Amino acid sequence: MNIIVAKKLRKVFGNGVELLALDDVNLTILEGEFLSITGPSGSGKSTLLNMLGLLDKPSGGEIWLKGREVSQSSSLERSQLRNKELGFIFQYHHLLPEFTALENVMIPQLIAGADKKAARHRSEELLREMGLVERLNHKPSELSGGQSQRVAVARALANRPSIVIGDEPTGNLDTKSSEMVYELLRKLNREIKQTFILVTHDMNMAQKTDRILRLVDGRIVSEMRRENGGFVECL
Amino acid sequence: MFEIIIAWRHITASPRMVLFPVLAVALAVMVIAAMMGLMESYREEIVSSTVENSPYLTVEPKEGEDYIHLYKTLSSVIWGYPGVEAVSPRLLGMAAAKYREQVKGVSIIGIDPLLEDPLLGVQSDLVWGDFNDLAFKKHSAIVGAKLASDLKLKPGDGFYLIRKGVSLKLTPAGYIRTGTGADESLVYLPLETAQRLMGEGDVVSEIGVRTSDLYEGPAIASGLSRDSFYKAQSWQDKSRNLLNLLDTQRFFTYLFYLLIFVISGFGVVNTMIMTISRRTREIGILMAIGANRGSIIKIFMAESLILGPPSAALGCLLAYVAAKLIEAFPIEIPAEVYAASRMSILLSPEIFAYAVAFAIMVDLAAGLYPAYKASRMDPVEAIASA
Repeated sequence: MNIIVAKKLRKVFGNGVELLALDDVNLTILEGEFLSITGPSGSGKSTLLNMLGLLDKPSGGEIWLKGREVSQSSSLERSQLRNKELGFIFQYHHLLPEFTALENVMIPQLIAGADKKAARHRSEELLREMGLVERLNHKPSELSGGQSQRVAVARALANRPSIVIGDEPTGNLDTKSSEMVYELLRKLNREIKQTFILVTHDMNMAQKTDRILRLVDGRIVSEMRRENGGFVECL
Repeated sequence: MFEIIIAWRHITASPRMVLFPVLAVALAVMVIAAMMGLMESYREEIVSSTVENSPYLTVEPKEGEDYIHLYKTLSSVIWGYPGVEAVSPRLLGMAAAKYREQVKGVSIIGIDPLLEDPLLGVQSDLVWGDFNDLAFKKHSAIVGAKLASDLKLKPGDGFYLIRKGVSLKLTPAGYIRTGTGADESLVYLPLETAQRLMGEGDVVSEIGVRTSDLYEGPAIASGLSRDSFYKAQSWQDKSRNLLNLLDTQRFFTYLFYLLIFVISGFGVVNTMIMTISRRTREIGILMAIGANRGSIIKIFMAESLILGPPSAALGCLLAYVAAKLIEAFPIEIPAEVYAASRMSILLSPEIFAYAVAFAIMVDLAAGLYPAYKASRMDPVEAIASA
């Protein structure tokens, strides 16, 4: 089942001197896919991710999320979709500094209107799965980079979103921590069929996903799909 | 309400950041509460000194006449009105007081002390002597304390009142201090003595009336004016200019409050804008995880409003301390200019309620723009901000 479909997606930045960041991008993502988007700096990866994550509006084209056109939805509707259907993991964990790991995971649930007790229970469960059961009441400044990023993963999963979007989720981690975070995402993908869309510079990381899209100058120039242990070009 | 949880955490995480807006609003609250207390006390003192030192109601001669001739009959008519507590015929005039080489212009009031004391409670204003002595000693007078001091008049010394060739030797039976400018010119005389001095026969200039309710005067005055040909005026009619002046003063004080409101509000706005620019990325993250614009407004409005109660409490405490200091160290002011002899402050519960409302209003108004600004942030730009 298609979870996201982008049709002729365009994004133009700037007033006066215009910069075409996305140029008629067509993309279909299936439910449960583990997809990576690669490309050089300025190729439009993050812009595409912001469009698919409903953080930004496209200049043209359509975005269909679970069969519904959402590219021009109202601000309130986009907030609700970001809260319930999408989970974000950023390069820097971007946890709220004054809140503990547990509270950081609780916040998206409280925004969604969840009961405090239920949110606490769900957050404890997620952090236990992330191996952070002893770090529940630690603030981000008391956690290592890898631990913080795992809290960020838990936060992204808190409302059981349809899609988790990661913008260089391991870009700021050492190799060991990167590997740990990747394994965690892969495990979730396999066990609960969670859809992941990851932007990465790191080809080693990209090659561990099921499909690799390469973006250059705002266009998808190549698409490789995992088949029989290797990748086949399909664009 | 996750918004309040976040706002509260922001506040408790940076107590230093909130110290200055709390202090700014607390100082504004203190100034406003103290000013209101001073103004209220001043107004009350003016009203009470006006009411204390003059009758609630005055019946004056008919149109075209200088004196009331049938004052005893008129007094009994006035007694017939409900709520009347005291009626005192009074003869007013000007004369010169002479003691040795000192001469001063004085205002004389001829009265029956047994009728005048229930009208104005004169005895309680005497710093020396007995007001009722005027009933038995025809050549005695109650003299304003400042006048006595200016004339260097001592108890037991005789002095002269002179008017149009008539000269009477009188002995002080007491000194009076009302706390107003009258203290330097007032002389109370027995009515008969005053009538002799004035040379107009058995007449009075006015009849003073006291009613059980301070604010019943105008109704009785209009009844008397309608039923008789005498002109009756309540203290409110007579003090119209003074009351208008106090209202004008109140208007300018409100303008002053408005200025304080704006200045302290700017302090809060400034801190809130600083807080928001410091938390730009955090706002972006909150938006990314689903907080809508309304929630962002609520977070920063709550942050601003949380400052209200401590500002109000501190401001009220400072105002209370200021009031106690003003009470403890009396500040004398010239009674001739201000119609009150000392600065006093009256902090009523209403003033504290206004001060609390003021603090909350400042924080509410000051939080609006920064909160709105935060809610309009673009989440992508906010997250990317350094």
